[in-house]
Amino acid sequence: MLIDLFTVFREEADANGIVFYYSGILSQNVITTMSESLKQKLQIQDEKGARSRKVFSTFIEMVQNAMHYSPSMHESIDTKEGSIIVSKKEDKYFLICANFIQKQHENRIRDKIEPILKMSIEEIKQAYRAQLKNDQHSDDTISKGAGLGFLTLARDSIEPIEYAFRDVIGYENELSCFYLKATI
Amino acid sequence: MTDLYIPATSDTPEINFKFSRNTLSMSGEAYPENGVEFFRPILRQLQSHLKSLSGDTIEFNFQLTYFNSVSTKIFYSMFELLNEYAKNHPNSVLLNWHHDEEDDMILDFGLDIQEDFTWIDFNAITLASA
Repeated sequence: MLIDLFTVFREEADANGIVFYYSGILSQNVITTMSESLKQKLQIQDEKGARSRKVFSTFIEMVQNAMHYSPSMHESIDTKEGSIIVSKKEDKYFLICANFIQKQHENRIRDKIEPILKMSIEEIKQAYRAQLKNDQHSDDTISKGAGLGFLTLARDSIEPIEYAFRDVIGYENELSCFYLKATI
Repeated sequence: MTDLYIPATSDTPEINFKFSRNTLSMSGEAYPENGVEFFRPILRQLQSHLKSLSGDTIEFNFQLTYFNSVSTKIFYSMFELLNEYAKNHPNSVLLNWHHDEEDDMILDFGLDIQEDFTWIDFNAITLASA
């Protein structure tokens, strides 16, 4: 990459309010290190603690979700990959996470998110509390979480969360790229 | 039962369960890669300790500053255990709930705990923002 091109990349990122951007291997070590970096950036930028905490929480839920559900990208080593961006524009933070998923899981994810998109904030809080109390083991054997991840994101987002699936060029039949967006 | 002490790491809290004095404390952040794996043995020890008691008073200091969704669910089960104990032995569990004054996420979870587990004496302690 030419230095000039990289300069444009950096200047565009700054001009568009990019607070944090990462694309690459997602491991717990990478996540804790990113968390430290993001926390420091937020402390410098944000005078109010409450919103920084929500940005931080949303960030962790997103990257851990990506780490848990993205397929290993190499046969020999168990590596997960994903991308995340945190940007700030007109006093709102936007977080978007992207990771590959197995194409066959698209419907499963859609079935989890779609009902949440139809809920009011009060209904989201009720669903969150119901899931918190639910100690039944979920029928969903793929889920590694507490079933609270998307509800936590939806609860803290000041606008409805958004999601999308995109084809992965060269792997159209096997993989999709899953995007998830929240606004704080 | 011997006391349980686990030092904090960047993604797991300090666990300081002094079973011998029935003073149980947790502080720091909780977002381990596998929350169930990390917390399950701790909850098991707490559960068997509670079984060995007959009405001794317990003080629990909850001082976490961040916990992810998986940890939230585990903590809910943990307070359920303490509530069961307190139900059998009224006025035996005091929960000191430390939260930053700016932190409505941790306060809200505390209010859920207070509402759902009424046998626990809930004591909210507000800390001034740093």
